[in-house]
Amino acid sequence: MSLFSRFRAKRKPRVVVIGLDGTPYTFVRRALELGRMPNFARMLGEGAFRRMNSVHPCVSSVAWSCYMTGKNPAKHGIYGFIDRKPGTYDTTIPTSRAMRSETLWEILSRAGKRVIVMNVPVTYPPRQVNGVLIGGFLSPTIEKAVYPPGEAETLKRLKYIIDADPWAARQSKDKALAEVNAALESRERTLLHYMDNEEWDFLQCHVMETDRLYHFLWKQMATDDSVYAPRFWQVIAQIDALLGEVYDRLDENTTMIVMSDHGFCTLKYEVYINHWLARRGWLVLPEERPQRLQLADVGPRSLAYSLDPGRIFINLRGREPAGQVAPGAEYEALRDEIASAAMEELRDPETGVPMIAHVFRREELYHGPLLDQAADLILAPVDGYDLKGAMGKETLTFQGDELVGMHTYDDAMLWIRGQSIAVESFSVTDVMPTVLHLMGVPVPGDVDGRVLL
Amino acid sequence: MAEQKGFTLWFTGLSGSGKTTLAKAVERELRQRGLKVERLDGDIVRQSLTRDLGFSKEDRDKNIERVTFVAKLLTRNGVATLCSFISPYREVRARSRAEIGNFVEVYCDCPLETCIERDVKGLYKKALNGEIENFTGVSDPYEPPENPEIVVHTDRETVEESTAIILRRLTELGYLEAEAGEVYSEEEETAVEERLRALGYI
Repeated sequence: MSLFSRFRAKRKPRVVVIGLDGTPYTFVRRALELGRMPNFARMLGEGAFRRMNSVHPCVSSVAWSCYMTGKNPAKHGIYGFIDRKPGTYDTTIPTSRAMRSETLWEILSRAGKRVIVMNVPVTYPPRQVNGVLIGGFLSPTIEKAVYPPGEAETLKRLKYIIDADPWAARQSKDKALAEVNAALESRERTLLHYMDNEEWDFLQCHVMETDRLYHFLWKQMATDDSVYAPRFWQVIAQIDALLGEVYDRLDENTTMIVMSDHGFCTLKYEVYINHWLARRGWLVLPEERPQRLQLADVGPRSLAYSLDPGRIFINLRGREPAGQVAPGAEYEALRDEIASAAMEELRDPETGVPMIAHVFRREELYHGPLLDQAADLILAPVDGYDLKGAMGKETLTFQGDELVGMHTYDDAMLWIRGQSIAVESFSVTDVMPTVLHLMGVPVPGDVDGRVLL
Repeated sequence: MAEQKGFTLWFTGLSGSGKTTLAKAVERELRQRGLKVERLDGDIVRQSLTRDLGFSKEDRDKNIERVTFVAKLLTRNGVATLCSFISPYREVRARSRAEIGNFVEVYCDCPLETCIERDVKGLYKKALNGEIENFTGVSDPYEPPENPEIVVHTDRETVEESTAIILRRLTELGYLEAEAGEVYSEEEETAVEERLRALGYI
């Protein structure tokens, strides 16, 4: 760093955000009590550490999109990891191209701030910033993942890994740990390289490895498995060390934020919503079934279908190509019927307790010009019941041992160094205007989130 | 396709910085995409809407004020409105922004020397000879935008490059539908789907 940039860096407010995907507030509290996070423990008292809500549905693509835009999905257009192409039964994977809003780092770039953004979900393909952007885990190759393209060389030299290989991770817990550890090391190496060698005003590093660790080993941690719980905690120690490394590098003008996008819990059952819709006669599947049923295979007489996680769409006349349900009263009546049936009928096969905590009509959750792209009903599960959109499953529920953790809504976390948080209840959508405020950049008028300080 | 969302693309910059050229190029692209487009240009409106006005500070403000009014009407009716005006004063542009709402400022950044070299309309020559008073860049200031949505460097980008930058930003800002394709090859898309499936996300 040149003398001039050191001088500049000292005077301007800077922010560094470390995203720990899926890390629950309550889990971090427990890890602190157990003495598993000594670095975070020494940082903790210097700022505000609070529990935070995610968004519905609480998956990373939606939650981080709400974070980076400060807006609800009806303004940015990202409703899940998969979506319908409007006017068809074809599905598509929404990328940054589908995001219909400016992001935090684009607004900062526009204000002349230099940004480094690494691995945040839904940032592929990389959009232009004043600085460096490395796309998230759905980037196909390093070459295509980065802006400006020249950075690919740096990443290769650093042996950058885009994401742990989830198919390898499914094969065994040992492989899952090996994948997670390798990706985490590459992430830390790359983060510290950019922190130390580049000029920046805003830096965000997204750690996806926490989410992967929890998906594949949460249960082993929760049940104190004699072999795998200690190895789970080793990864947490590594993450804690990373937080310490970052913290120790910062001066008093830099605000550090540690946050997650949702919580995690042990997965009791996968729940196949389309199985239930079919059993109730709302979804008609073809007699002859291809190996993997897709949305395009839905029979023309269907009234409703579901996409991950727990999003139910009405087969609406005028919107879907073979729409069956008339808009207006018929649509509302069917929504009501499905909503109350879901609360009543979707029950744990062993205990009989409800698996659905709440059914939202889309207008209860979202507001904005892209509301018409949202699912008609959004089911919020009771923790432990992972709502799936797979088609043609023979049973309503399934218990496996590969994926053993699932997301939760109300247990994300936020730590901001040197600040106190004035607001009682808040969500990931509120962090972005807070960062803009910390950096002295005006918050655009169409942002939904509030400044938390 | 969702209903077209109106917006005003406001090109600002020195005379000869490429505002009209770019506005025309963007207009062509937007029409090809089936959008309703109107282009308001300094040279055109001064022959009709504001032909009674001169080039004093007051008259220039009035010129922009009327154009802003028209752009506001078009924008709120879902039209993509392309305005190219030197509009040298920050405060005046800020008023247009506030009035119009869906306002996208495009700063055509080009060094004065290059504009003088280009001198498409022969105006710089006259201004430098003292034949035109209050000429922006020569005898009147130009205040560059502090926070424009888009900056194009017309001295070192081709028209196609600058146009592509503008269209991409309009997509990012949510005013244009993203064009399909090129995000993933077929093979990559399958790999990405498999990844999501392995994680239980689809």
